[in-house]
Amino acid sequence: MDDIVTMKLTFNQQTLPLRADFLIAGTRCCLSTNSHDVIELAAQWQSQTKRVDTSSFEMEVLVDSSRSDCCEQAAHFRGLRHIVFATLPRGSFVAFDLLRKKVHAALSSSASRDLSFWNALLLPVTIGILGTTLGVVPLHCACLDRNGKGLLVAGVSGAGKSTLAAALAQRGFAFLSDDWTYLTRKQSALVAHGLFSPIKLLPDTIRFFPRLREFVPRKSLNGEMAYEMDPQKSLQFAVTDMSRPGHIVFLERTVARGCHLVPCRPEYVRDFFERSAERLPDELADARAMRTNIINFFSACPSWMLRTGESPQRTAEAIEIFLSEAERATA
Amino acid sequence: MQRREFAAYADPLDILRRFAPAPLKAMYRIGSSRAVVQTNDFHLLPALPLDVNFRVPGEQSQEWKLIRDPDTPGPLEAARFLICGPLTVVEMGPACRLALDHERREVVGFIGADVDARTYQEFLVPLLCRLTQEPVPASPLPASANLRERSAHD
Repeated sequence: MDDIVTMKLTFNQQTLPLRADFLIAGTRCCLSTNSHDVIELAAQWQSQTKRVDTSSFEMEVLVDSSRSDCCEQAAHFRGLRHIVFATLPRGSFVAFDLLRKKVHAALSSSASRDLSFWNALLLPVTIGILGTTLGVVPLHCACLDRNGKGLLVAGVSGAGKSTLAAALAQRGFAFLSDDWTYLTRKQSALVAHGLFSPIKLLPDTIRFFPRLREFVPRKSLNGEMAYEMDPQKSLQFAVTDMSRPGHIVFLERTVARGCHLVPCRPEYVRDFFERSAERLPDELADARAMRTNIINFFSACPSWMLRTGESPQRTAEAIEIFLSEAERATA
Repeated sequence: MQRREFAAYADPLDILRRFAPAPLKAMYRIGSSRAVVQTNDFHLLPALPLDVNFRVPGEQSQEWKLIRDPDTPGPLEAARFLICGPLTVVEMGPACRLALDHERREVVGFIGADVDARTYQEFLVPLLCRLTQEPVPASPLPASANLRERSAHD
């Protein structure tokens, strides 16, 4: 500790004079920054629809040219009370103030210009941490859209949600997300949102998707090697950014061949998503109550346990047949 | 420093370590105000004068919650202060992240496993005192900690 250099970064209207607004996961992000590059990036998230009834948060992004772009730095998160600290790869640091609904990000120049950094990291992390205070519930599940109805695919880590999501997208389902889906409630309607994050497939899935040979796996946020690809540009999947949740399946891999769908009780759905949600402190009691309310409402969706020993493609086919029959029965 | 495990974080999920138990609590006199320090590590109790008096009516007190983070190794990095309205955040790499909420008069922070007691007492405690805008009561910043301040816009 012989020579501690300190540096002061001030976040205010003078240091962050540039502004943009955009919708993300059903909430409005009021962005201010000192970087024209960031404003240019934000232009592509700006929605044509002007919703005024939505919750909002402030995101202050200060691009600091002195920050070194260290790609090897792992993501690291800690939080106490209403404050959350996030050290992100590429020399970036973000502080979240959950009571005031504010995000303060100090980014390296290269990270600030990189669309994949925003889409794969900064925006999902921001909504994942702040969302609950804005009435957005992050759910650990994939989501695909078919005929305007969302199919949510849940399951423990490693169950094969992303692989099944890719197989369903190959069959024409519109891809929304493969890992995290963000749920909002507007009066009596639930809406599932995606964030245009890349799809992440593990190297061993190459046997189901030979096209992956065209790509190179790289280290992902949690440190594992994976193919991370733009589902639309790289895999030509149809994509969408929102859907109305219609069905939930809980994916379970089995050794036995076959593909079986067994109805689930709402209590199971509620417990699964409550248990997989981050604990919230007393300072955020309102957010905790709102999350519980949305999960309770969501748990009434028709849901099934999907036990499969088949390939992702065969499983996707079975799901499609099942959903078609279910829709015919209700029609 | 010996690594400690102080809780399980998977069920219920507490990835952020918000609920790490902090059973140690002490009250200090820092200048004209009182600070209540809560921590999970005896070494993170500041070497400052204890406040043994009853609370003075109308006196403002601060709350510090400082968690030793055994899962985060590594040294302190250069300090960056993020001044964000009522919030001041100090980032010194993953080994030390502190935030002072001026309106709520509370300090929260995580101190990594490899930040030793001497560095903590001689550098971070004076920094915390300075952060809370109170005069440092006992030891000023050590001569060895040569603080050079510059702004991002220099």
